[in-house]
Amino acid sequence: MSKQMLLDVRGAEKAFGGQAVLDGVDLAVRKGEFVSLLGPSGCGKTTLLRIVAGLLGADRGQVLLDGADITGMPTHKRGVGVVFQSYALFPHLSVSDNVAFGLRAQGQPAGSIRQTVARFLDLVHLGGMASRSVRGLSGGQQQRVAVARALAVAPKLLLLDEPFSALDRKLRETMQIELKHLLREIGITTILVTHDQEEALVMSDRIAVMNKGAIEQFAAPDDIYHRPRTPFALGFVGHSTRLDGSARDTDQGVLAVDTAAGPVRAPGSFVPGSPVLLAVRPERISIGAGLANPAVNSIRATLSDIVFQGSKVHLHLAARGGGPVLVETNRVPDGLAIGDETALNWPVADTLLFPRETA
Amino acid sequence: MKARRAFDPVLLLAAPALAYMALVFALPVLILIIGSFKGPGGPTTAAYTAFLSDAFNWRVIGNTLRVAALTSLVCLVLGYPTAVALARSRGAVQAGLLIAIILPLSVGVIVKAFAWQIVLRRDGIVSAVLVATGVWDAPQLMLFTEPGLVIGAANVFLPFMILPIYSVLKLIDPNLQASAATLGAPPLYRFFKLALPMAMPGIISGAAIVFSLSAAMYVIPTLLIGDRFQTLATLTARAFLLMRNEQLGSTTATILLVLAVSIVMLSARLVRAAGDSR
Repeated sequence: MSKQMLLDVRGAEKAFGGQAVLDGVDLAVRKGEFVSLLGPSGCGKTTLLRIVAGLLGADRGQVLLDGADITGMPTHKRGVGVVFQSYALFPHLSVSDNVAFGLRAQGQPAGSIRQTVARFLDLVHLGGMASRSVRGLSGGQQQRVAVARALAVAPKLLLLDEPFSALDRKLRETMQIELKHLLREIGITTILVTHDQEEALVMSDRIAVMNKGAIEQFAAPDDIYHRPRTPFALGFVGHSTRLDGSARDTDQGVLAVDTAAGPVRAPGSFVPGSPVLLAVRPERISIGAGLANPAVNSIRATLSDIVFQGSKVHLHLAARGGGPVLVETNRVPDGLAIGDETALNWPVADTLLFPRETA
Repeated sequence: MKARRAFDPVLLLAAPALAYMALVFALPVLILIIGSFKGPGGPTTAAYTAFLSDAFNWRVIGNTLRVAALTSLVCLVLGYPTAVALARSRGAVQAGLLIAIILPLSVGVIVKAFAWQIVLRRDGIVSAVLVATGVWDAPQLMLFTEPGLVIGAANVFLPFMILPIYSVLKLIDPNLQASAATLGAPPLYRFFKLALPMAMPGIISGAAIVFSLSAAMYVIPTLLIGDRFQTLATLTARAFLLMRNEQLGSTTATILLVLAVSIVMLSARLVRAAGDSR
């Protein structure tokens, strides 16, 4: 393990009432990195976060922070800050007393506490609200107080537990960008727990896609989007068109697959006859017949719906053989109307190939 | 900022209870208070001066306040942790705890008093435990003593301490404690700067209820300690029932009332102050 790893979780296991929630998870986060734990509810991402913060003990496994084993260390000695989903502001204290809480608990001198509080309130643009009660604050303001409070004690690592889920969409997008810039400026290592793929894509250097208590893929956002390692990662991040098929033969690293929509090729290899899953991202597919080029896949499909998305248009089609197809384009091609059958094509190189689970 | 609000007709729902209380509580109390100021030549405070100039009566007031304060303290020390456990528990455990706390209320004080006699006598459980743990050298009678009275009163009034604290605690986000821990606050700091201030409204109302109940209790001291220990409540009863001295009874009753009302009003102010700083 490289020396630059700030956090290193090894083989974390946790079960609740005999039900495994974390199934031997490894997670290594570099110093200064922004990592998201992305997955549906119940995937174990919040459990992992609470184990890192020391709010929950793992049944098995180790947590190392900055090279030191903190597995059994109580939360208040770890130097791991958390912004909770509910923000968990202290309702009996003012904005500045909330931010000062950790500094006072550590017994810092009053003068330096005042300076630190003022600095962090300015950083989150709450300079004028120091003496306000936290009860009257809006959701966005509460989140800023929670962030300032967590950062004021200079933690080694910051954990964010679904911090945007209580905000409306518009504010959420603003706060995501604002927080990303603030955290980058401070240079703090951060782990975000979220079920929102867009949030993870916007904010992260790397994303750990979690499913059923395990990390299925841990990679940069564009890696996960363009090269998902499992069908779950494919489905959880971004849209795609899926085709079930059966492997035929491999020629020069390209596998020919028989699908209900016709023959399709994909980079990779499988034993002939194996059930496989093919997938294509919607922006890779073009309308119109591809040239008879061995590097291009082509199928026919019927247009069933046009969904305007602002800067993009989503075309929903039904492939020959029945499966749904999603195409993303800049504009609807001239003369194409709902009910028309058209040809679709995409590069073989952009075809994703997975083994298919059969019942 | 405050706009005068139009009268809300829903408030009329309180009218029957108010009328009832006015008739069966406020009016008799008023008659009682007036009675304490009655004199042969018109209204006078003679009864109060006479009562307060007797050193014995000051001991009675002292007994009343001391027993009420000690009972509140015992209830707080036992009740706060219970309320914390109750607020943390879920499902069957919580239901079991609640039943254990509320069920004893349905057992009459008389029944309890006979049970205490078993517990508090010289060869009783309390004595046996204290001797076994070395606190006492020899078995002693707890019955007919002030500590015995406080133990008995705390037993009856404990639910009135637990429930108000619980009702405050259950509304507190459990992540507040977790959040304070992640800010580097050690457990004792979290208790004094977070848990206790947040529970304060519940503690104050619980203490006010237990204090006024135990300042006014009559049956428990009568059964557990008897005539040689007088409080304002037992003295009031004696004045009316044994001495047939209505003037004395009204006077002691009024003093008790004033004490109880001041305690309740003071605690209401404290709750509001604690609430404002939240």
